[in-house]
Amino acid sequence: MAETLRYRLQFIGLLAAAFTMTLLVQLTRVQVLDHRFYEEWGREQRERLITMADAPRGVIRDRDGYLLAGNGVMYAIEAAPAYVVDKANVAATLGPLLHLPTSQIEQWLHGESLWVPLASPVPKELGEQIAALGLSGISVRPLWTREYPEGSLAAHVLGFCNAEGKGFYGVEGFHDEQLRPKPVTWKGPVDPASEQIPWTVAPVVLPQPGDELILTLDRTVQAIVQEELLRSVNEYRATGGTIIVMDPRTFEILAMASLPDYDPGRYNEFYNRLPLPFEDPATSKQYEPGSTVKVLTMAAALDAGVVTPETTYYDPGWIEVGGVEIRNSSFDGAGERTMADILIHSLNVGAAWLSTRMGARTFYHYLLAFGLGHPTGVDLAGEAAGQLWLPDDYEHWHDSNLGTNAFGQGLAVTPLQMITAVATIANDGVRLRPHIVAKRIAPDGTVYVQRPVVEAQVISPETALMVTEMMEQTVVEGKVATVEGYRIAGKSGTAQIPIPGGYDRNATITSFVGFGPLPDPQLIILVRLDRPATSIWAYDTATPAFQRLASRLFTVLGIPPG
Amino acid sequence: MSDFMQWVVHGVKRGRFELDRRTALYSLALVTVLALIAALYLVLVGQTAARGRHIQQLEAELSRLQRENEQLEVEIAREGSASRLWERAVELGFLPAEQVEFLSLVRESQPTVSNP
Repeated sequence: MAETLRYRLQFIGLLAAAFTMTLLVQLTRVQVLDHRFYEEWGREQRERLITMADAPRGVIRDRDGYLLAGNGVMYAIEAAPAYVVDKANVAATLGPLLHLPTSQIEQWLHGESLWVPLASPVPKELGEQIAALGLSGISVRPLWTREYPEGSLAAHVLGFCNAEGKGFYGVEGFHDEQLRPKPVTWKGPVDPASEQIPWTVAPVVLPQPGDELILTLDRTVQAIVQEELLRSVNEYRATGGTIIVMDPRTFEILAMASLPDYDPGRYNEFYNRLPLPFEDPATSKQYEPGSTVKVLTMAAALDAGVVTPETTYYDPGWIEVGGVEIRNSSFDGAGERTMADILIHSLNVGAAWLSTRMGARTFYHYLLAFGLGHPTGVDLAGEAAGQLWLPDDYEHWHDSNLGTNAFGQGLAVTPLQMITAVATIANDGVRLRPHIVAKRIAPDGTVYVQRPVVEAQVISPETALMVTEMMEQTVVEGKVATVEGYRIAGKSGTAQIPIPGGYDRNATITSFVGFGPLPDPQLIILVRLDRPATSIWAYDTATPAFQRLASRLFTVLGIPPG
Repeated sequence: MSDFMQWVVHGVKRGRFELDRRTALYSLALVTVLALIAALYLVLVGQTAARGRHIQQLEAELSRLQRENEQLEVEIAREGSASRLWERAVELGFLPAEQVEFLSLVRESQPTVSNP
C-alpha cells in the first residue's frame, strides 16, 4: 500500500516538476531571450506616433522690428463620415457656408471613406463659425498661412512661402531651413481611435517655431526707394529697373527694389506673367554695366602704380585693342586729358588706354578682387555670378576684351555686384560681404548676430581716396547728381544691350552709382533703368533719379552734410 | 470522480484547516496593507491621468492663443504698413520734408572759476 502511494506521489511530483520546468523555460524565453521583441510588440499596440500641433514659421522683420512676413490662420474643414449622425442635416448646414452643393456633401458623407476633406483653406472667421456649430464628425483643423502685411514692399528681397510651408526666392528661399518650424513628435498611449489618452503626463516639449530673422532692411527707406523707382520707370518710360541702397561702412543692404514686382502674399496670381517676376533682378539679372566700370579700371590703374592722378594722355578719339577699334561715345577726340577727365567725360579711349597700360594680368586681378565674375555671397536665394571671361579662357576671351571690359562692355554684372565693387572704394578699399540678415533669433532666445565679413583689401585707402575725389569731380562737373550742401561721389553708365550679332542701337540700360556724404559716406545708391524710352542716356534718366532719391534719403535718415 | 483521479488522490487525507488568532491578525494586516497600496496606486494613476488631460488642454489653449497672437500681429502690422501710414499722413495734410536746415550746435566750454 505504502509502495503504491510513493509511486503515485513520485508521479505527481514528476508531473509538477515537468510543468514547472516548462513554465520556467517559457518564462526565460519570453522574459530574457525574446524580451525585446515582446516589449516592442506591446508598445506598438498601445502607443502611436503623436505629432503636436504645428508651430508657426519664423517671422521676418526689418531693422526696426516692423513685421515684413508673419503668419495668419485659416482652417481646413474635414469630415469623419462614420461619426456624422445626421448626414442630411450636416450637409444642408455646411453646403451654403462652404459654397458647395448640399448633394455633393451628402454623397461624400454617405461614402465609405473614413475621412473626407470638405474645404481647405477657408477663412478664419468661417472656420470659427463652423467650429462653433459643434457638428458631430466634422473637424475644423487650423492651418498656418504666410502673410506679408506690407504687400509688395521688398517682395523680391523676401521671396514667398507656398501652402506647404516651403520658402522660395529671396530670404524665404535662402533661409528656409532656419525659418521652418521644428516639428515635435513623440510616441504615447492612444485610444482605439488613435487619440492621445492622458494616461501619462505628456512630455512638455512644445513644437518650436522657426527662427526669427531681423533684416538690415529699413522699411521707410525701402518704401521711398520703391516709390522713386516707380516714378522713374514711369517718367522715363523704362521697361523696368532696380535700386539698391547700402551702408558702405558695413555693406548692410538698407533697401533693394526692382520692377516689375509682385505681391508675395498672392504669388499664385502672378504665375501667368511672363517672364515670371519672382527672381530678384538685383541679384539674378546680369547686364553689361557700361561706364560705371571705369571707376574700377581707374582704381586698378592707380593702385597698381601704372598712373597717378597727375598723369595725362593724348586722346585721339580712338584706340585699337586686339584688332578692334574703340571709340568714345561722342566719336570725337578729346586731346590731352588728365586721369580725372576719363571719369568726368566718361572717355572709353582713356579707360582702354588704362587697361592696356596695366596689362591683362593686372587688370583682371583687380576686377576679380572687386568681386566681378563670382557671386558676392549675399544671403539671398538665386544669386548670379556675373560673366567675366579671363585671358586663360581661350574659347571666349579675345585680346579686344582687355579694351572693351575697361569701359564695361563684354562683361556682365548683377546690380548687387556693381554696388558692392563701388562700395569697396567708399570703404577705404576694403570689400565686405553684402548681407541682408542682421540677426537671427532662435526660439530659445539665443541671438546670432551677423558680423561684417571682410572679403579683401582690394586697393589701398590712399587709392580709394584718389578715386573718390575723381568721382566727386565727376558729380560736380556733371551737375545732375548734386545734392545741395552734400559732397557726393558718383559715376553714370549708359550700356548698350547685346543682341545676336552685335548691340541694340535703339535701347540701353542706364545706371548711376554714387555715395555720400563725403568724407564719411553713409549711403551708397545704385539706380538702374532698363530701356528708358525718353532718353538713352544715363544723365537724363538714372542720374536725376539718383539725385532725387539721395536728397530724400539724406533728409529722412537725418544725415547732415559732411 | 474518474478512476484516474481516484487513483491520484487515494492516499491523500483531507487535513483540517485551523487558523490561530495570530495568523489571522497577520493575514488581516497584510490584506489591509495591500489594499492601501492598491488604493494609493489608483489615486496616483487617477491624478496622473487628470494632469495629463489638463496639460493636453493647456497645450491646445496655448496653440490657440499662439494662433490668435500671430494673426493679431499681422493685422496690426497691416494697419501700420508703410503704404497705410502714407495714405493717412496725406489725409491729415502732411507733406514730405524738402528743405531741411541742419544747425550745428557748438557746446560751450565749462565756465572756469578763478580765485581772485
